[in-house]
Amino acid sequence: MSQISYLKNKIMFKHLFKLIWNKKKQNFLLISEILVSFLVIFAVFTLVVYYYQNYKKPMGLDYQDVWVVNYNNAYQAKNVDSLDLYYETMKQTIRSLPDVKEISFTADNTPFTQNINTGGIMVNNKKIDGVNWYTVDDNYTKVLNMQLLDGRWFNKGDAATKTKLIVINTDLKETLFGTGNAIGKVIGDGDNKNKMKVIGVVQSLKMKGDYAPTAAGIYARTDTGSYRWLGKILVKVTPRADAAFEAQLYKTLANYMKNSDIEIEHLTDKRVSINYFTLVPIIVLLIVACFLIINVALGLFGVLWYNINKRRGEIGLRRAVGATGNAVSSQLVFEALILATLSLIIGTFFAIQFPLLNVFSLPASVYIIAMFLSIIFIYLLVLVCSLYPGRQAAAIYPAVALHED
Amino acid sequence: MLKNYFKIAIAVLRRRKFFTFISLFGISFTLTILLVLTAFIDKVVGDNYPDKKRDRSLYINRLEESGKDNMSSGGPSYYFLNHYAGSMKTPVKMTIFSGSKGTNTYINNKKIAVDYKYTDANYWDVLEYDFLEGKPFNQQQVTNAERVAVISEDMKNEYFGDVPSVVGKYIEADNVKYKVTGVVKNIPVTSYMTYSQIYLPYTVSKTDYKNKGYLGDYSAILLAATTADVPKMQAEYEHIMQRVPMENKGFNVLYSHAEGYIASYVNTGNEKQSGVTLVLTILGTFVLLFMLLPTLNLVNVNITRIMERSSEIGVRKAFGASSKTLVYQFIVENIILTLLGGLIGLILSVIAIEVLNSANLIPNLVLSVNFTVLAIGLLICLIFGLLSGVYPAWRMSKLNVVTALKAQ
Repeated sequence: MSQISYLKNKIMFKHLFKLIWNKKKQNFLLISEILVSFLVIFAVFTLVVYYYQNYKKPMGLDYQDVWVVNYNNAYQAKNVDSLDLYYETMKQTIRSLPDVKEISFTADNTPFTQNINTGGIMVNNKKIDGVNWYTVDDNYTKVLNMQLLDGRWFNKGDAATKTKLIVINTDLKETLFGTGNAIGKVIGDGDNKNKMKVIGVVQSLKMKGDYAPTAAGIYARTDTGSYRWLGKILVKVTPRADAAFEAQLYKTLANYMKNSDIEIEHLTDKRVSINYFTLVPIIVLLIVACFLIINVALGLFGVLWYNINKRRGEIGLRRAVGATGNAVSSQLVFEALILATLSLIIGTFFAIQFPLLNVFSLPASVYIIAMFLSIIFIYLLVLVCSLYPGRQAAAIYPAVALHED
Repeated sequence: MLKNYFKIAIAVLRRRKFFTFISLFGISFTLTILLVLTAFIDKVVGDNYPDKKRDRSLYINRLEESGKDNMSSGGPSYYFLNHYAGSMKTPVKMTIFSGSKGTNTYINNKKIAVDYKYTDANYWDVLEYDFLEGKPFNQQQVTNAERVAVISEDMKNEYFGDVPSVVGKYIEADNVKYKVTGVVKNIPVTSYMTYSQIYLPYTVSKTDYKNKGYLGDYSAILLAATTADVPKMQAEYEHIMQRVPMENKGFNVLYSHAEGYIASYVNTGNEKQSGVTLVLTILGTFVLLFMLLPTLNLVNVNITRIMERSSEIGVRKAFGASSKTLVYQFIVENIILTLLGGLIGLILSVIAIEVLNSANLIPNLVLSVNFTVLAIGLLICLIFGLLSGVYPAWRMSKLNVVTALKAQ
């Protein structure tokens, strides 16, 4: 029995392919249209899946009630001691303000800015480029409420160590040591001249907002010399700190650093604006893709509908010799789906190149998921567009159709 | 004859309303997107407020120094521009100004974020800002490092509220009080070279503008006497750049160019990568890919429509109409359809632009459908009509009379 149904299916598919082949010129256009739609949908899904995967990951930091003070033209002194004294006094002054919980000096690559500072490192004579380099002080983790996963963070005692001490994030740890232990390991800098010792591992932060990926990073402790070029202070305040307090903080800083231009920003606002930069293009893209798909769907629907009207004679004949309405309508739907399959085979060939050639260096899983979603989407689209014309075909009365001929 | 074609076209469009709807939907929507895109580009790079003398101006906003291992790139410093660009003979006027930077000011326990920019006195001559009240600061005030400021309309409303005149009043920014000398019309932040909310004399800058380093945060605009002098001015700057001594031993090449507005606007700051080519490639690819789908769809629908009219074609051919006549008729029909779609697209884009403007995504960036955009839109319409008309028409004219007649 199953043998017979298998043969029946085989014959039916052969028959359908023949029908498609007979109208190859017209079908060629349909196929290319479905193909292009598939590629557009694939691009959109890739972005959506990528952003969604990033969005699901933890932020790694607490941005509520954290302010960023930007200053330029920092105090310069030839003598390291007087430089140290100047900034120590400043720290004490800020800390003594009522609503300040904790402060931390950092380089320009603070969370949610476009600033980046990257460099290369050498591990086992292998060079790894593009590692984020964060110069921060002892209180950085407290201000941002970061998670220390292994080892320890910097403290005052680290000022006089012979080898430079660093803390790495989970992304870098996974690249370098996999699941192994990282504490105590030694890493060389870009020229492999200086050695750096890993003392701790922290959870990677999403520095570029909710939808951006985390990236490999190294945290290094500020030394007295770094105050010559540092330009940002992160300030954790209490939830009740308001604009009046901000004005007070501003005045205090401006009076202390007479030669600097000062600006205070809030991490919450900066997060919103950096997310906006990611979201606006994708929203525009989604709207455009949506209209393109409606456009294609209408076109597909129109062409299939027309085809059925043109084949009334053929359909009438099939009904006359005993085909049921369902058989006729499923034949038409199958024809459309085979067309879709042909385009999808070509489309998948192109799409699979992205993970294979590692274009844009997105994780392969993103492309694969996007590809599956797009294939399902295209099948659904074609199914929906061919169902109604198929139904119409089923409603054709053999006598009426054959009479017309 | 044309009148006849027109009548036939309208009749055909009305007979198959669903297909007409599909075609019109495709055309009008595609046009809407393209029109909004062109309106945006037109506003961002084509809007010549406040630099109305753009055709005889050259902009310098980048400096790249590179050596064997290192490269640094950024804006030139005041010293660099004043010393080298300032020594040029061709420009009749030159202005040097900083990029805009952010700071805060606090008034009545309210925080106001402020963008400010340092300029010289020439700035107000080279660029033609619309003054709503007061006047710019002059050379004397700049030389004396007086604390004076020109502010934007938005800044006035935000800081002083709704008052008739603010000239002579004091505005506090970055913990310093400045006396307002004038109020100018707003500029959107997309015109980043001239955008600011507060304009101050460069002499009051807290950072040392006399610093002899080459890199800084300044830009310059060179103004030639006539449009014809612009290439000469450009050549003179290139010539001077070749003789600039290296800042230090680490570098062996120095690049800086005086460019036209668009080239300087999209300057990537990397000598090896032309900003204009990059932007054109990205835009071109997007538009091409974007138009491919509706065009394919239109061609598809058009072919279907023609096949449906095979008996009409058969009869016309049997009565002696040549292929050429039929192609001509079909192209006319298509152009009418496209123009109709264009009209709907235009109406849709006006609505879309209105919505975008009221959403105020970028403050002070007011988009409008202007004549350039309209002309581009119509041109796109025609290309569309021909693109989707020629292929089906060509296929149709190949149809054999007998086959065409038998098909029904």
